[in-house]
Amino acid sequence: MSHVPEVLIEASGIVKRYGKFTALHGVDLRVAPRTVHSVIGPNGAGKTTLFHMLTGTVPVTGGRIVFDGHDVTTEADYRRVQRGIARSFQVTALFQNLSVRENLRLAALGVTPRRALSCWREADGPRACASIVDDVLTRLALTRHADTPAGSLSHGQQRRLEVGMALAARPKAIFLDEPTSGMGIDDLDDMKQLIRGLRDDHTVVLIEHNMNIVMDISDTITVMQQGRVLVEGKPDAIRADDRVRAAYLGNMITGGRA
Amino acid sequence: MLVRYRFWLLAAAVTLILPLTLSSGTLATEVLVYALAVLGCNLLLGYTGLLSFGQGIFFGLGSYTLGIMLTRTSLPMPIAVVASIVLGAVIAAVVGSFAIRQKGTYFVMLTLACAQMFYFFAYTATDWTGGDNGLLDIPRKSLALGGKTLIPLETPWQFYTFVAVIFLIVFAVLLRVADSVFGRTLLAIRDNETRAAAIGYHVKTFKLVAFAISGAVTALAGALHALMTGIAPLSNIEYHTSEMILVMTVIGGTGNLFASVLGAAFYVLAADWLSTLWPRWLLLLGLLLIAVSLFMHRGLWGVGESLWYRITGKRGGANGKLDTQGDAT
Repeated sequence: MSHVPEVLIEASGIVKRYGKFTALHGVDLRVAPRTVHSVIGPNGAGKTTLFHMLTGTVPVTGGRIVFDGHDVTTEADYRRVQRGIARSFQVTALFQNLSVRENLRLAALGVTPRRALSCWREADGPRACASIVDDVLTRLALTRHADTPAGSLSHGQQRRLEVGMALAARPKAIFLDEPTSGMGIDDLDDMKQLIRGLRDDHTVVLIEHNMNIVMDISDTITVMQQGRVLVEGKPDAIRADDRVRAAYLGNMITGGRA
Repeated sequence: MLVRYRFWLLAAAVTLILPLTLSSGTLATEVLVYALAVLGCNLLLGYTGLLSFGQGIFFGLGSYTLGIMLTRTSLPMPIAVVASIVLGAVIAAVVGSFAIRQKGTYFVMLTLACAQMFYFFAYTATDWTGGDNGLLDIPRKSLALGGKTLIPLETPWQFYTFVAVIFLIVFAVLLRVADSVFGRTLLAIRDNETRAAAIGYHVKTFKLVAFAISGAVTALAGALHALMTGIAPLSNIEYHTSEMILVMTVIGGTGNLFASVLGAAFYVLAADWLSTLWPRWLLLLGLLLIAVSLFMHRGLWGVGESLWYRITGKRGGANGKLDTQGDAT
């Protein structure tokens, strides 16, 4: 890399209204490259809405989003993928009838979608994206299940593949929306290791309810409440912040450790 | 080799079995003509998950284009066929670009609305289409070069051979398209559109290309139908044709291209046989459609496949896992 910018993602004054309801009241967020930046907050704080804005899944009502030096505010989600933005979903959204390998192949080729428009070339050779797919399969520990339809995987495996779908695009920034939602206690540690490992090559923006994970792996934490940023800081500062404690009604924020 | 080309070989077998078992060359040709139309529909329904009630537009359009060109100009027939294919693709792209703005029920409604508009347009433009009477006296001359007959098309069986060759070529091309990165991306879009967009695919572009290919193949079927019967009737562009193509597609089974050949063959042959027994035979067809909708979502092909696995005792086959289920909406 010739230059590493100080800020990879800069969102300023993001407003989102659904009819009369305002989900986001002018949110600012700056994410530094090669960090894990978590967004936490009670249910309904606007975390997922903010994600939708940043990844382009849903358009903004107001504000500006700059990604890697480009203004992407009005770009649709599929275009932002080519800029290096990839995301996972809170509710698992895989191609259920397609094999794990095919899911990842599609995600890997999605960065250069024109190549997928060929009605003649078969999905082998360069279009199979084999080395990336194999890499991701290894990272997810799903190599053994490469030919299994995604819908037949266990919940924990599906959640890992959900992260893998974002990873296969080799993005600059990975947005993970509650990657551990609904996971059993046994799978949590695998997921934590997986996310921690992402920081070496990517910038991670994470929504997560499991405070143990958030406090352990985040570089920066943004706390949201009712569509606004309540406070932002390092994990220790967040843990000690009175406003955060109040917003979270007691000890949820500390994960029972402090 | 055998495994790789098994579906094409099955289709080739069908084109050989038809002349051996049927006495009417026209009936055999009809099977292949509708099989082409059903293939076009399957690409939308089975591969992309788009339930189009507008396939009759492209079928009728193919018939009219060929009919008008052969009755008003002295252009050779192959050029008229190619023109039908091109126009089919273009109009399908136009109709598609309207319809894919919506999903689900409203998509279906938009295709229905387009079907109605094209029907009444054909009904009104009597100078060009013959209106209610249809376009009559479409010539079917043998293909000749310099006074020498190259491909005779006089008798029904000669014409059948011509259509069978075209059918097998188109089937091979469509198999390749379905297996291409494009075809596999369509399957992904069918499975989960939101995710397909989230990983970088402009879903509408893919749907539009699928529509254009579907329209091209369906218009080719319409053109061959007009050549076969010598007329381009108003009924070819009617809503009923759309419905018939859809019913054949669902009965055959979606998601596998050879299933479309089965569906068309079954419908055309059953209609021919049942209509001699009982004029209200469509009632029986309704019962079959209910049975398919209730118990056999993968259509005749799915039933055949299950039987095959039961007999041979194995599951899956070469890429059985990638065979898709037929419950798209």
